[in-house]
Amino acid sequence: MDMKRDYYEDVRLFSSPAVVFWFVVLLGALYLFPLFAENYYVYVANYIAINIIVATGLNLLVGYTGQISLGHAGFFAIGAYGTIILMAKAGLPFLLALPGAALIAAGFGFFLGLPSLRLEGPYLAIATLGFGLTITQVIGRVQLFGGREGLHAPDITIGSWIIDTDKEFYILLITLTIFLLLFMRNLIRTRVGRAFIAIRDADIAASTMGVNILYYKTLAFAVSAFYAGIGGGLYAFVLKFIEPEIFTLMMSIMFLAMVVVGGLGSMMGSIAGATLLCWLDLKLRNILSIPYIGDWLEHLSKNWFSITGVSNIQFIVFGTIMILIMLFEPLGLFGVWIRTKKYWRTWPF
Amino acid sequence: MKKSLMLLVVSLAFVLSLAPNLFAEVGVTDTEIHIGQWGPQTGPAAAWGSVARGTGAYFQWINDNGGIHGRKIVYHMFDDGYNPAKTVAGVKELQEGTGIFAWASGVGTSPGMAVKDYLAQNNVPWVGPAAGSLNWVNPPQRNLFAVYPLYDGEAKALVRYAIEKMGKKKVAVAYLNDEYGKNGLRGAQEELKAHGLKTVAEVSFEAADSDLNPHVMKLKQSDADMVLLWTTVTHAAKVVGISKAMKFEPQFMSTSTCSDFPLMMSITKGAWEGVICATFGELPDSDYPAIVKYKKEVFDKYAAKEERWGLFYYAGILFVEPMIEALKNVGPDLTREKFITEMEKIKGFKGLGAEVNFKPFDKNDMYSRQGASQTFLVQCLAEGKAKKLTEWMDIK
Repeated sequence: MDMKRDYYEDVRLFSSPAVVFWFVVLLGALYLFPLFAENYYVYVANYIAINIIVATGLNLLVGYTGQISLGHAGFFAIGAYGTIILMAKAGLPFLLALPGAALIAAGFGFFLGLPSLRLEGPYLAIATLGFGLTITQVIGRVQLFGGREGLHAPDITIGSWIIDTDKEFYILLITLTIFLLLFMRNLIRTRVGRAFIAIRDADIAASTMGVNILYYKTLAFAVSAFYAGIGGGLYAFVLKFIEPEIFTLMMSIMFLAMVVVGGLGSMMGSIAGATLLCWLDLKLRNILSIPYIGDWLEHLSKNWFSITGVSNIQFIVFGTIMILIMLFEPLGLFGVWIRTKKYWRTWPF
Repeated sequence: MKKSLMLLVVSLAFVLSLAPNLFAEVGVTDTEIHIGQWGPQTGPAAAWGSVARGTGAYFQWINDNGGIHGRKIVYHMFDDGYNPAKTVAGVKELQEGTGIFAWASGVGTSPGMAVKDYLAQNNVPWVGPAAGSLNWVNPPQRNLFAVYPLYDGEAKALVRYAIEKMGKKKVAVAYLNDEYGKNGLRGAQEELKAHGLKTVAEVSFEAADSDLNPHVMKLKQSDADMVLLWTTVTHAAKVVGISKAMKFEPQFMSTSTCSDFPLMMSITKGAWEGVICATFGELPDSDYPAIVKYKKEVFDKYAAKEERWGLFYYAGILFVEPMIEALKNVGPDLTREKFITEMEKIKGFKGLGAEVNFKPFDKNDMYSRQGASQTFLVQCLAEGKAKKLTEWMDIK
């Protein structure tokens, strides 16, 4: 049943008509979601979708190309500021400003990619970390960027469509997300994608086979930064107000955690990782409302940790979940998905 | 015929089932008023978390003393970790899920800015954001009442005192490069201009700066006889310490942010003595009746044992006092419209802080929604004691 006869079958976007069918069902469900969901859940979906875009881009860099970045909040910030400034100061429409800002982020990604030719592992991590921290400092000092007082996001208009509710924004956002995911899927199955994977597995071997390391490493950084830039540009409109302090080191770390918890080198993993971590980040405080356990946790926290009560417990639970996933499923959530699929394929035997 | 009759009955039943909801206000029942607040309990701003805890203790005290017209306050406080995306999520979840009548306080400019439009669109009242920012009232919004004083007023009061009472002429300003710092700088510049003077130096600080010797050097070279510190608490403490080591001893003045004298004295190892600060609330150890009452009845009874009776904690009470006042004045029949009308009627209200005044909404008058504009000056004495230099002054 799962026999492949040639290479193109292996890399096809849709492996069978059944997959096409389910893909269409999924698309339909995604677009109908705001009709049935409460506004709050649409907001959460927007927040998750933006993180999915960034995680997908970061996974290209970390999971497929084997590089690392602790500075993605910097690209995210460039995307956010770039979009608002291109709209408010240069008068560009949203649909031009967003990719424009993402291209600026990609340009920075290209330059940050250059040291990756010589730096590896922890050294590259520190270089990118420095970038992420520097960007917010620079933005804070430049008056054009609003300094530390921040910037307000203008309204988004596309033609005569004014987007001012979460639900309208969701439609725009989900369209962009699907488009970007398909693009990434396509990129990975082409020659470019195979070059990335070859570099990850053994860069010297790849270069002897004729893969241009300089080109592909910087390209991976640029594409990854582009995705983060798009994510940032959209995030500015979710918050409607941005200032440098929003784009912290913690944000970069969360992006990386999404990719690792989800599963390195897998698009499904990026989606699952971003969804899970965002959901936990927003919802874990509700453990308080579980009968008995909530009271007990609050008591524990207040007596042993600090007066702020359950907030600390929330982080401890958050960290524990991440550790458990990595401990029992090193492939991340994607590993769980593969195992489930295998189990059902041979079920009930 | 039968079908349409059926339809009529069903739709009538549906409408009737909705009817009680149509007339009741969101977040208000016969026995409860739901009030929300966000406050960082974790993350970079966790030190300000005591604001929300102070409000919580205050509400508990109100409930235990009979509530408001038979209704208890149900207080929904959540931790946003000073991350605006989480503030928006929490506010929407509570607003659309539980239903919140009004929002109280809430720490931080960016968390507040992220939900400002949302609350305005839904006309949800919001009283006393815990951050001094012009953004709350410029332009004013019908649903948003600011109690936190604007910093430029404090700066004016300090500069005026230095010039008129102390005969200082050469004023230098050390300010943090953000809205807070620039508001202070602007206030100082305007007051100096009114006296026909100019600053002798303006030195900007970044929050992340750690070596402050060059900054202090610049201040020293300007030969200022008064230095206004509009920086973070840490920077202000360092500047005073370094200046002393450099034998540069002008009169230092600073904002309400740095007016927690016991704290300032302990981190400067005594160098803060003599510094003059503006303040927006009565002092924690003063014998002002309201302070004594709240400390005894609210703090001693409801606060966790590690909590400190400091400015942030009782600011959590100070910011919401006008809200409680208006809720009491509305009477038993509580709606948002009536609440906003009562808020607008608040005149000369005196709680823990400056006198609070609101006016009927006027989109061209920011003082229709900026309630507090008073401040008074205090000087730090040995052992962190405070000497009141002036009475409450109204400065706009």
